[in-house]
Amino acid sequence: MSIQLSIRGMAKRYKTGEGVSDINLDVRKGELITLLGPSGCGKTTVLRSIGGFLKPDAGDILIEDRSVIALPPEKRPTSMVFQSYNLWPHMSVYDNLAFGLQIRKKPKAEIRESIADVLRLVRLPGAEKKSPAQLSGGQQQRVALARSLLLKPAVLLLDEPFSALDAKLRHEMREELREIQSQTGLTMVFVTHDQEEALSLSDRIVVMNHGRIEQIAAPQNIYNEPESLYVAQFIGKMNFLEGVVEADVIRVGELAVPNAKRLAGPAAVVAVRPEDVNLDSGIKEGLPGAVKQIMVLGHYAEVSVNLGKHGIIRSFQSKDAAQALSLGQHVRVSFAKVTSFPKE
Amino acid sequence: MIKGRKEAVLGLIMVSPAFLLLLIIVVLPIVQTFVVSLHSEDGGYDLSRYAFLFTDRLMRMNIVFTLKVTVISSLLVLLVSYAMALFMSFSSGKLVDLIRKTYMIPLFIPGVIATYGLINLLGNHGWLSRMLLPLGIALPRLIFDEKGIVIANLWFNIPFTTMLLTSALAGIPASVIESAKDIGAGRLSVFLRVIFPLSYKTFLVALTFVFMSVIGSFTAPYLLGPNSPQMLGVSMQQVFGIFREQEQAAAMAVFTFLLCSVLGYFYIRSMAKDEAARM
Repeated sequence: MSIQLSIRGMAKRYKTGEGVSDINLDVRKGELITLLGPSGCGKTTVLRSIGGFLKPDAGDILIEDRSVIALPPEKRPTSMVFQSYNLWPHMSVYDNLAFGLQIRKKPKAEIRESIADVLRLVRLPGAEKKSPAQLSGGQQQRVALARSLLLKPAVLLLDEPFSALDAKLRHEMREELREIQSQTGLTMVFVTHDQEEALSLSDRIVVMNHGRIEQIAAPQNIYNEPESLYVAQFIGKMNFLEGVVEADVIRVGELAVPNAKRLAGPAAVVAVRPEDVNLDSGIKEGLPGAVKQIMVLGHYAEVSVNLGKHGIIRSFQSKDAAQALSLGQHVRVSFAKVTSFPKE
Repeated sequence: MIKGRKEAVLGLIMVSPAFLLLLIIVVLPIVQTFVVSLHSEDGGYDLSRYAFLFTDRLMRMNIVFTLKVTVISSLLVLLVSYAMALFMSFSSGKLVDLIRKTYMIPLFIPGVIATYGLINLLGNHGWLSRMLLPLGIALPRLIFDEKGIVIANLWFNIPFTTMLLTSALAGIPASVIESAKDIGAGRLSVFLRVIFPLSYKTFLVALTFVFMSVIGSFTAPYLLGPNSPQMLGVSMQQVFGIFREQEQAAAMAVFTFLLCSVLGYFYIRSMAKDEAARM
């Protein structure tokens, strides 16, 4: 698949010292890629630079193999869906949607037809005459999305578009966006700090930290094979245990786990997802521990086990398995799958 | 029910001092002036004082002159103020900082002093004329002419109008302008389709203020204007103070009030329309 957007060596530094550096990213045509990271990590800087609202200090941005770095926002083949919708309050929904097409000098009949089509696509048929003030937050965001979709941009930029919506609506909008993306085949760059949103929406996720890209991978790979300690900490729940490198294995107390990454040591950090932590009371292998807390969370339970000098480890257990455990009970802890990192 | 009635009575009691003050210092004088303006020369009541405004050649000239100066001044004030407000709101740099720090200065200079200052600066033998003379440039007649009044009106009205418009523009979120640029709108489209519509209410308020301030002005037209034709304020003072024609002066005052009311009507109508659209 061809590359629709390419960012090469982009850097931007603010007076505060924050910014981004060494940003290299290729986005394939029709791909939905998410920039994920905490506040201040630089994801919005990257997005606004693609849209032309910020001028990078270095590097280049290419859309469909053409550099757009010197172009102002109005000349770029991009369109942005903003966090706060940014509808024009003095215009009706129709006028909000028609503005961009009028600038492109489209015939009136075509504009009318396109607006009716796009409103059907975003599930707001017949809303043309309403003013933004008459719409709910979710409806306003749909109009904002429709406004961008109408322009058929080469790259659609979405700046935390659902963050102002409540959890239920956010979930619905995610599904709708994914559906719209598969219908339109648009290339989308989505910015969020919500990892659940990123994991559920994206073809690939770009995890950012302190202005740099930590990892670019598909959601399942980001979750299962984090490349850095930061990604492992940031995505999902993870247990971290200190270990000692001994050639092919890393030893955590009595337990030895494979040194798959061939870490040099001497110390390493072993990371285990709670769902990969096994608890057993009938065996002698594994790390000894005592059940400290059992929290039933609907169809599963989170069990905390005190491992003494290795700290507390959390394990996800089925409701039935958790019911068989009791507070203070001695168990043996083993791991179904681990990943390891050099100790920083 | 009784509680609601009590609250309503309490509300009326609380608002009555302000209402009474308004009645005494605004409404009653207007009514009284209108009644006086209806007094005819033979002691009866008719519209002869109003008829005189349109049949007397000099009076007609005064009305046309007043309207001309008012329209030109209002347009120029709004043009300059809007340009300054836009510049200060959407640009940055040393020049913007300098304008921000200095544009309010005229508000702190008393009108009479500013007017004499303009006479000293722009008069036939003023500083500007003397500075341009060695260069062979003769300054056109500015003082004791309508141009002088317009210049004074700019001095008096630009700071406040700019302040009003700047605060209106500051209320437009940058993100709304960004979204217009994002869909491909150039500077002119952004201004005409987004910035102006979002600030036009304040623009209308500013227009109303400038129009009323200029049409009813006295100091600058009195000190800077020509002997004839005159602005209505100056003419009114002459008719009242020199010719001692109180009834005619009252008719001129009511007429000036009606001129202002026309603009007031358009302003209120526009506000009512907006209100209806929001409902």
